[in-house]
Amino acid sequence: MAADERLRRTMMFVPGNNPGLIKDAGIFGVDSIMFDLEDAVNMNEKDSARYLVYEALQTFDYGDAELVVRINGLDTPFYENDIKAMVKAGIDVIRLPKTENADMIHELENLVEAAEKEFGREVGSTHLMAAIESAMGVVNAYQIASASERMIGIALSAEDYTTDMKTHRYPDGQELLYARNAILHAARAAKIAAFDTVFTNLDDEEGFIRETKLIHQLGFDGKSIINPRQVAPVNKVFAPTQKEILNAQNVMAAIEEAKRKGSGVIAMNGQMVDRPVVMRAERVMMLAKANNLIDAEGNYIEE
Amino acid sequence: MVEAIKDLYLSSPPVKRQWENFLKKRGIDDFASQETASIDQTIGLFDEQDQLVGTGSIAGQTIKYIAVEDDAHAASGARFNQVVSALENRLAEQGCFHLFVFTKPKYQAAFEHVGFKTLAKTDYGLILEKGTPNIDSYRQGLKQRPATAKTVAAIVMNANPFTKGHRYLVEKAARENDWVYVFVVNQDVSLFTTKERTDLVREGTKDLTNVAVENGGDYMVSYLSFPAYFVKDQDQAIAYQTALDASLFKEQLAKPLGIQKRYVGTEPLSHTTALYNEALKNILPPEVLVEEVPRLKASGSDQVVSATEVRQKIKEEQVNDLAQLVPESTFDFIKENQKRLQERILKGQQINGN
Amino acid sequence: MEIKQTALAGTLESSDIQIMLSEGSDGIHFDLTSDVKKQFGDDIMATIKDVLAAYDIEKANVKVIDKGALTPVIKARAITVAQRALDLKDQPNWEVL
Repeated sequence: MAADERLRRTMMFVPGNNPGLIKDAGIFGVDSIMFDLEDAVNMNEKDSARYLVYEALQTFDYGDAELVVRINGLDTPFYENDIKAMVKAGIDVIRLPKTENADMIHELENLVEAAEKEFGREVGSTHLMAAIESAMGVVNAYQIASASERMIGIALSAEDYTTDMKTHRYPDGQELLYARNAILHAARAAKIAAFDTVFTNLDDEEGFIRETKLIHQLGFDGKSIINPRQVAPVNKVFAPTQKEILNAQNVMAAIEEAKRKGSGVIAMNGQMVDRPVVMRAERVMMLAKANNLIDAEGNYIEE
Repeated sequence: MVEAIKDLYLSSPPVKRQWENFLKKRGIDDFASQETASIDQTIGLFDEQDQLVGTGSIAGQTIKYIAVEDDAHAASGARFNQVVSALENRLAEQGCFHLFVFTKPKYQAAFEHVGFKTLAKTDYGLILEKGTPNIDSYRQGLKQRPATAKTVAAIVMNANPFTKGHRYLVEKAARENDWVYVFVVNQDVSLFTTKERTDLVREGTKDLTNVAVENGGDYMVSYLSFPAYFVKDQDQAIAYQTALDASLFKEQLAKPLGIQKRYVGTEPLSHTTALYNEALKNILPPEVLVEEVPRLKASGSDQVVSATEVRQKIKEEQVNDLAQLVPESTFDFIKENQKRLQERILKGQQINGN
Repeated sequence: MEIKQTALAGTLESSDIQIMLSEGSDGIHFDLTSDVKKQFGDDIMATIKDVLAAYDIEKANVKVIDKGALTPVIKARAITVAQRALDLKDQPNWEVL
């Protein structure tokens, strides 16, 4: 699994044929930018969007954001050219929509590898993620999540999923409970990231925060967003508490201590510190820094 | 995160109601069936809350029924540009890269800002075009007059079909000028097809070496959507359209082509054509003179020669009477194609128009 | 290469550029509308010209309505319109990208 421990709290959807939004996508401090060649682009403009995203990736500075592109599905005539163009452009992650099973990831991986060879990119450098948008996709979530070393995450896409389930979205999200948990378990078991679906009603900030708190509580890495206005609320929900930061700082100090002593064993308060605890501490520190909650010396900054 | 363009299906009554209400609030309130029937497609622009905030339609190659609600948060005109752009892209997908718009003078700048060029302007409104082919390429495609030609005249005719009356007018112009353009109306809605009409004019004037017979394209007495929704009164609507047509002829053709005179026949029969001649006389001079020539009368009769009468005779199967009304070439054509022409009339082709 | 059909790409929205490419008789002829024509007109035309040259398009009429597009946007729209005009909409020329 290609899972690195980078932050993926926000993945912002950017319509692939909109120069104004593409140009500005880097200024909102999102963790991932997802350029959309699929649903946001009219059938007759698939070619324009592909070239526009390609040229944007060559030129614009998106800082540290992870760059993702949602390509058109493998049942469309745009699929193969989307893959080639985005691999050539050096995209970080290709997101496959409507993923139903592991074979779809295998097919994608083969084409990505061929494109990497054709355009002289390092084989394996293009990562993949899958959007789960159907009951079948949810049932196969672990096989999909573990289908390739290139996989970095899976995401729930609730609009198509709820249609497939013969329901629609409700404010309390009960209809997504199983899918969210299934996807989250698949991601954790495969050691990749889990992304939650979008919240489309921009006027309902309260509802958005409520949903973000829920998926944070469940354990998702982050949320898909459709507007820069949604960045700050998500980051706030994902910000660690002062207590979590203090605890993480202690773990980090224990690691330093062990290193200095040349000890292979990290101990704290007479207990062994095992790997998940270390990883959680590292993540808390990343979140603390990303939210500007600690100063250079590591002191907690009171709001 | 972005506003979306969607199809508006006016065939659905609630959609049509929503569309009409949106336009009415913005001062467009003529939804007469002859206006809306010409619409090929309509789009709506919807904001983030899925509210209709803009619309535009295409009829043939003309943009119609365009209206937007300006967004307080965005640059003024952003939505207008988005709607125009979407309509253009849709026409382009169908292989049409040339479009027109009739609009009120206050929207001239908005359309020019997105690349439209004003063809003609009157107090009531204006006509703009964009794309290719356009008026420049149309002019370039016309036969060049010889360098020695000093006096240039023009005649615009539908010639449905070419009669001795038409011939009389062309002959007179050819005699009095070094070079004559005869523009045949392009719109294919007459008993005789555009090709038939043009061929018969060519055939009937081929002995006149200083006459160039040309298709009038989209630029002369063309059908380009009748903008009745700006002007209520029928006569006023005709005045509006004829004034635009006359001013387009003057600015885009007469001036660049050096045409100093336009010949027209006097019009005792058609009210619309009479109003049209009035508009020409109001607008063309002093740069372009209007020569109103009394209509030729049939030999031994007080009746002027008219194409309407020719069509009536075809309908009544009295083709042999036509020899005195039309030149030989037209007569031969009618005799040969008598059946076909009569079938067209039976199929409902109107013959009372111009 | 010869232009096979007139083509249009891009939009009139802010930060975009609309380019119409049609057959020409000699050379590349521009008709450019832009609020920043004075400062950037030459750059805009040069960017488009480079793309056309990459496709070996030597005769064309190019109508451009610029709405403040940056160079990569101009380039992307020029590639799109060239591919469409050459009737290669679904066959990207990877060397030009």
